[in-house]
Amino acid sequence: MRTKARLLAGATVAAVLALPTAAHAHLVDTRLGDFYGGALHPLTELQQILPWIALAALAAFQGARRARWVIAAFPLALLAGGLAALAVPAPPYESLVGIGLVAATGLALAAAARVPLPVLVGLAAVMGLLHGFQNGQGLPASTDRLLFLAGATAIGYVVMTLATGAALAFLRGVGGWRPIALRASGSWVAAVGIMVLGLQFFAPTAS
Amino acid sequence: MPPVPSKSLPLAALLAAIPLAPALAHTGSGVAIGLQSGLLHPITGADHLVAMVAVGLWGAQLGAPAIWVLPITFPLVMAVGGLIGLAGVPLPFVEPVVALSGLALGLLIALHVRPPLWAAAVLVGVFAIFHGYAHGRELPGAADPTAYAVGFVVATGLLHLTGILIGVLVAWPAGARLVRVCGAAIGCVGLYFLLASVGVLS
Repeated sequence: MRTKARLLAGATVAAVLALPTAAHAHLVDTRLGDFYGGALHPLTELQQILPWIALAALAAFQGARRARWVIAAFPLALLAGGLAALAVPAPPYESLVGIGLVAATGLALAAAARVPLPVLVGLAAVMGLLHGFQNGQGLPASTDRLLFLAGATAIGYVVMTLATGAALAFLRGVGGWRPIALRASGSWVAAVGIMVLGLQFFAPTAS
Repeated sequence: MPPVPSKSLPLAALLAAIPLAPALAHTGSGVAIGLQSGLLHPITGADHLVAMVAVGLWGAQLGAPAIWVLPITFPLVMAVGGLIGLAGVPLPFVEPVVALSGLALGLLIALHVRPPLWAAAVLVGVFAIFHGYAHGRELPGAADPTAYAVGFVVATGLLHLTGILIGVLVAWPAGARLVRVCGAAIGCVGLYFLLASVGVLS
């Protein structure tokens, strides 16, 4: 009986300790919050994450040897773009170029285009520079910029590596439908890019 | 102090654990709302829905290469239609043609019509312009235009995929007949919306 009472008391204490409180998931009070902020920033921006995945799939279509160059070039360009944002003003037509890249990458993927290596690496570099610049822009003074850019660069490397690896493994599977499925996803990305590009031209006040 | 009944302790702990403040886990940001409305737009409109399924179904019935040419072509041409809508270029008879697309594609499936690939692609492309126009007109008003575009393009693609998966049945004689019945049903839905769009039905 006494043991049961102790167990009940222990369970009660444990339940009280487990009372729900705020999770503080965004770690605003810690130094690492800026790292996670930088890592999450591109993931919440569809205009960045969509062309990343399309670029990874396009790189996979070129084969593993060529795709490795993209995995190396993209995060470095992302970091360079972020650092540039701290020193120089935004280039003109930055937004249009960004959306144009979504459409161009999607179209190349939909066509399963065989892209020369310099063009592929150049596309990765331009996309990385531009998105890195967009990530580094307008950071509040309280943000640790180095941590923020480190987070954005790390997530760029992780997403590009995982997406390229997944696309390569997917293409190596059995079934002729696999490249078609990736090409269809490219046509989706291109369609989104074309329409959002049109929005910039025809209804800029609505964006 | 009177002794606390032992059974009431776990109950008290359980009640204490119930949070009194709302969790607010889904804050409904612009991206979430834009994505949701984009995903629901082709699905909640039955005229769009049956036409999208019909594209995949007809592609599957025609076989390769139509099975992949039509669903890859459609979103790209639909984007052009969206641009026309965004530009404010007047396009007449949008709703009747959207309804006509369901009727025409349903009939083509029901009658097992096998035109040349280019003719099938052109026909589907023309319909895609009108579907894209209808979607594009709503793009500027979306909570997040990019998320809205992603939502309706993905929903459209998944509806094509649904049609293709139903169309796999053509590998069996009974399945091929069932696919033609599905085409007839799609045609009926298209006819209903066509009559409604021209004011014959209220």
